[in-house]
Amino acid sequence: MKKMILRNVLLSAVLTATTTLTFAAEGVTIYGVKSVSGAFASYGKYADMGSKLAVEDYGTLLGQPVSYKTLDTEGNAGKAVRKVQEAVSQDNARFFDGATLSSTALAIGKEVNKVNGVFMTPAGADELTGVDCNMSTFRWSVPTYGAIRQTVKPLIDQFPEKKRWYTITPQYVFGEALLENAKQVFEAEGVEHVGNSYHSLKEQEFSGYLTNAMAAQPDVLLLLNFGSQSSNALRQAINFGLKNQMTILMAWSSGLDQLQELGPDIADGVYFGAQYWHTVDTPMNNALVKRVNEAYGMNPNYPLAADYIGTTAILNAIAKAGTTDSAVVAKALEGVTYDGPTGSEFVRAADHQVLKDYYLLKGKPASEMADADDYVDIISSGKSFPDEATLACKRS
Amino acid sequence: MMKQKKSSLFGGVTLAALVTIIVMPLLLPSATLATEILIFAMAALACNLLLGYTGLLSFGQGIFFGGGAYVASICMIHWQFGLLEALLIAMLTGALLAGLVGALSIRRKGIYFVMLTLSFSQMAYFIAYSLSDWTGGDNGLLDIPRPPLMLLGFEVSDLVSSEAFYAFVGVLFMLIFVFARRVIHSPFGTTLVAIRENENRASAVGFSTNHFKLLAFVISGGITGIAGALYAMLLNFAPLSNIELQMSESILIMTIIGGTGSLFGSILGAGSIVLLGDILSSVWPRWMILLGIALIGVVLFMPSGLWGGVGSVADRWREYRRRKASAAKSSEVN
Repeated sequence: MKKMILRNVLLSAVLTATTTLTFAAEGVTIYGVKSVSGAFASYGKYADMGSKLAVEDYGTLLGQPVSYKTLDTEGNAGKAVRKVQEAVSQDNARFFDGATLSSTALAIGKEVNKVNGVFMTPAGADELTGVDCNMSTFRWSVPTYGAIRQTVKPLIDQFPEKKRWYTITPQYVFGEALLENAKQVFEAEGVEHVGNSYHSLKEQEFSGYLTNAMAAQPDVLLLLNFGSQSSNALRQAINFGLKNQMTILMAWSSGLDQLQELGPDIADGVYFGAQYWHTVDTPMNNALVKRVNEAYGMNPNYPLAADYIGTTAILNAIAKAGTTDSAVVAKALEGVTYDGPTGSEFVRAADHQVLKDYYLLKGKPASEMADADDYVDIISSGKSFPDEATLACKRS
Repeated sequence: MMKQKKSSLFGGVTLAALVTIIVMPLLLPSATLATEILIFAMAALACNLLLGYTGLLSFGQGIFFGGGAYVASICMIHWQFGLLEALLIAMLTGALLAGLVGALSIRRKGIYFVMLTLSFSQMAYFIAYSLSDWTGGDNGLLDIPRPPLMLLGFEVSDLVSSEAFYAFVGVLFMLIFVFARRVIHSPFGTTLVAIRENENRASAVGFSTNHFKLLAFVISGGITGIAGALYAMLLNFAPLSNIELQMSESILIMTIIGGTGSLFGSILGAGSIVLLGDILSSVWPRWMILLGIALIGVVLFMPSGLWGGVGSVADRWREYRRRKASAAKSSEVN
């Protein structure tokens, strides 16, 4: 009996090892680092759908099939890093896409860089293409610099009489970066920053901050938080009647999925900054909208589009490099211009930042919505990125 | 008072733990996963000293885990501490933090004690969150090295491979396991059990129960600090979630699922939670509901946890064998 157990254990160990080797030898595999379960599952689900669809649409690459494997981060940066380590050591994984949280993306970027892999992420932390940049990490989303300049500046241009701005900011690295950029724009445009309220990362009750904002009597309320915090802050601001007293701008929204959650009654008349919007009229986006509707019966939202293009960009780079040598693929991705969902997108070699459009949207009333997802009008769009000379990325 | 089984320090459960540590990397998909299980088993073992043997339900374990991780990492990054020095400082940090939390918390009992540890946990999270220049704040602390294992100036292992690091963590776990067993079977340990069973009576017979509870806290904190530092070395990264309340909850759940009052149960608890997360998350995004059901099931039907369940099955099997043997004997006589 004991011998039999030992034999079974050894057999399963050998089988596991054989399966791993066979898997590694078959074509290209893209590893999607997604928060499929846990606190950020609603985001990770769409991101996963985007990467899966991109791989499905690609077909074969270098004469071999392309496959996709999800690494569920469980919304936990530590779990994410451990699973990436496992994929690297067990499956010889080299190509990664995704990561919702900045902390997860930063740590995974470091991990992937150890094996000269390729990691494309839509995460928000400026450090990804700043002080913590490396040869392996590429970022699709616009940094805080561009997000502020493509939302605050156009609004100032549109309403030059609105000179008093109040900000509500989450007190951590990302929020501070948005606030710092907003202050630079205020100063350059001669706008008065009449006050700021900091809140913690766990805050969900904003009435105190909104009362402070009302007391400062601003013309514009600028929300610099994101996700559920920005949704709650906006809902409470509407309940306080702030929409009738001042213009409200949410600089970093997550686009369609957030607007679906808020609904037209809240979104109406509010300005939103967004990385992506499905009605943008570009050839690639039109094709993407059609494809996503066919595949999933819905319009693409930001996580789906971001991870679709991120995955596609890696696959295109492998095709361009003509090899699965990840270091060569990373080089091939540098300086590439491609047709993306926001139009022409360019991967800057100096910091691996994708230079793409950021959008200023304005919520419309329910009566003017042409379809269920027609929540906003696109007011303006454009590219704003720091000059290469001023980059914090000092990659050797 | 519960009857304490007398057993050799190096036999029985210790041997079972050793065999499990040797077999685990062979059965699991990777040594990295096995290492994570061992690290959390270490934290659960430390929690068990408090919950299982002293009867203290502490939500402060995340403070010691995160504190150990941060201080060891900062020392390695800024002052190039070696592996053993970093682990020593992590242990001291965990013990010191536990001493501080314990000294104030044990002044109250029951729900008030729990509330105090909860408050300390929230305070520690916000301190780590605010000191972002040192802890990395929400982005976490990056670029944490994994120094080589040096003994008497010689490099024993560079610990670069996941297997080598697992072996190191395994050895350390066994040392801590034996130490914890020694503590439990010492007069100090039996006094802790006496306090758990009836603190008033223990106090009445002359024990300074607060001193005993504080020392249990310090030992638990020291071990948890080491676990935190090992986790940072495993990931080369210390996320803010290390010091969150959720970390304390996870450690507590592992302890309860594995079995309070059983050191081997800590391995079962950590193993089942980490593995369940890995397996179920790929099956169903809402897998935490299943985890909740599992926890309810264990609490209702296996109050002594998985280890208690294993023991109960073994007892029934022995009883069945005994009855079968006596039935066979009586039929032979007839």
